[in-house]
Order: sequence, then structure tokens, then C-alpha cells
Amino acid sequence: MSANLVGDVTMRYADLHPQSPAEAAPVLLLHGFGTDFGMNWQAAGWPQLLGAAGLRVIGPDLRGHGASGKPADDTAYLPERFTSDLVALLDELGVERVDAVGYSMGSRLAWELALTRPERVRRLVLGGFGPVNAFDGTDLSALGEGTTPFDQVFRTVAALPGNDPAALAACARGQAARPFSAEPPVAVPTLLVTGAKDEIATGAAELAAAVDGAHVEVPGRDHVNAVSSRLFKQAVLDFLTS
Amino acid sequence: MAEENVTFTLPDLGEGLVEATVLEWQVSVGDVVERNAPLVEVETTKSAVVIPSPKAGRIVELHAQEDQVVPVGDPLVTFAVQAQEQQAGIVGRVPTEEARPARRVRLKPPSD
Repeated sequence: MSANLVGDVTMRYADLHPQSPAEAAPVLLLHGFGTDFGMNWQAAGWPQLLGAAGLRVIGPDLRGHGASGKPADDTAYLPERFTSDLVALLDELGVERVDAVGYSMGSRLAWELALTRPERVRRLVLGGFGPVNAFDGTDLSALGEGTTPFDQVFRTVAALPGNDPAALAACARGQAARPFSAEPPVAVPTLLVTGAKDEIATGAAELAAAVDGAHVEVPGRDHVNAVSSRLFKQAVLDFLTS
Repeated sequence: MAEENVTFTLPDLGEGLVEATVLEWQVSVGDVVERNAPLVEVETTKSAVVIPSPKAGRIVELHAQEDQVVPVGDPLVTFAVQAQEQQAGIVGRVPTEEARPARRVRLKPPSD
């Protein structure tokens, strides 16, 4: 892991197997809300798998998360602020194009990157993500106090060691300020992967159809435990190396 | 060379977690696995984790079914590994007792 300054917020990132063949696009792994690269991807076995396939892995801790800077104002977490970080990181590393693989909020941001900077994204994978408003019914001024699915997610991640609940709340409000829209659609080849029991990612199949992409469902898995599944990994590997 | 059986218990996955649910084994009895190869996928209350194999060896027994909740420290898997000829200071054996900082307490005053 190494750290550098991207804009006004320090970003911590992993750059694994940087000597991988140049003809393969590096894989940019974007973690979900309230986790970080290590917890979302590394612990679930992704870098090892991708590395064994000869792929370079770039894994940032997104702002507000992990060992990266955690600004406290909502506007620091608008989706475009994240994509600016990501473009700056790719520029720093001298990487032209990546395969962007997201999970949950990371998918939302991967979509944003593919939509606004299509020249930087070769292929797009949206894990644990559907075209629904993740904050539906949630009181954004009292996060974690209600009973919505997002309140429950917030309670869980706010209690994790190393997380800053105030930064996470600002992050949620910044994300909520730009509700996801499937219009306009992204124009890069797209794969969606969701657990069959993932209630946060409903509508993934419809979104896949809307972008002329593919959808893989992982039987028996939910939002938390789909990410480490072998089936998910194999689907992504097949998609990125085909 | 002779083989010996070594049982690996569910490790402490951190942050005070006391148990994990087995999601899916990545190995079967009889498989020969490399050290650090994916061994088992488990779920804690916080995240999903793939535990890498701590050893190279042949899988002799899986101690938990899928969907079973396993407490930290309970047997997870038994390997047959090549028996080591020498026991002193071999690679892969962690001398946990000796690693602890030992406080020396003199129980009796020196006789002289």
C-alpha cells in the first residue's frame, strides 16, 4: 500500500502487480460505503485472484473511508468529487484506461466514471448495485436512527473501528444529493452481478438490459456476502479476459 | 516421508468477532492445496472473507458444514502435511509460548 496526495484529500491506495502485461487493462476496484479496499476486496480474495490472472489491481480507499482523508462537509462527497480523485489517481499512476469494478456505492461511482470519462474505462462491472434510490425513506439528518435498509447499513459501518461516523454521514448526504439515474446510459461494455437475496440491489437485471449489458445472479447470497463468492469472481474474470 | 495430521482452527478475524458462518468451502477432502490458496469463504457479522490456507498439504477433514456457525478457535480443517524430521526452529511452527515477553520473577533470594 502506498499513499499520495490527490487534490486536497490524501488518498491511500494499493497498486498490486504493477508489472502485469501492458495489453491487459488494470482493474480498478472500488469498495462500498463504510468499508475500504482491504475489507471489501482484499479480505474477500480478489487481488490474489486477479493477480493470478495476470491483472494489475489498483485499489483506493475512497475519500471518507479507510486510511484516506475524511473531510466533514457534504459537498466533498458529491459523486464528481470521487471521480476527480479517481482520474487524478490514474494520472498519477500513468494509467490510461482501466476496467472499473465496483461494489455497492463503488458501483455508483464506477458508473459515474464510465459516464463522464468513458475514455478512461474499458469495461464496467457493477456489483451489488441496482437503479434504486438507496436512501429511500431515510432521514438524512438522523442517519442510523431510523429503520430503513440504509439506516441499518449506516449503523453497522459507523460502528466499525477506524470509521468516522460524521464523515460517513457527510458522504451519504453527498451521494444522496445526486440521485442515481440510468439516463443517460453508459456506453462501455457492462456486467452486473448481484446476490439473489440482495434487497439493496433490486432492478439490476433491468439496468443490465437498459445498457445492453449482462447480468449474473449469485444464488443464495445477499448484499454482504455476495462479494466473496467464487461465482461472482469467475463471472468478472470471464468478462474482463474475454 | 511420513505424514502428520495438523488441525487448523478458525482464526480470530479481528474486531472482537467471536464466530463466523461457513459460506462455501473452496476445497474438498482429498485435495492437495498450496499454502495461501483459497481455503474457505466465511461471513462474519461485518463482512465476507476468504481464508487462505495456512499450510500446504492434503485435506483430510472439513470440520464444518456450509451454513454452519463456527466459534473462533474451533476446528475448521485438518491437513495431512509432510512430517518434519527436525522439530527445532522449523519453518511454519510459531513458538507462541516463547514469543510472549516473559517477566522473570525471582521467587527466592540468591543464597549467597
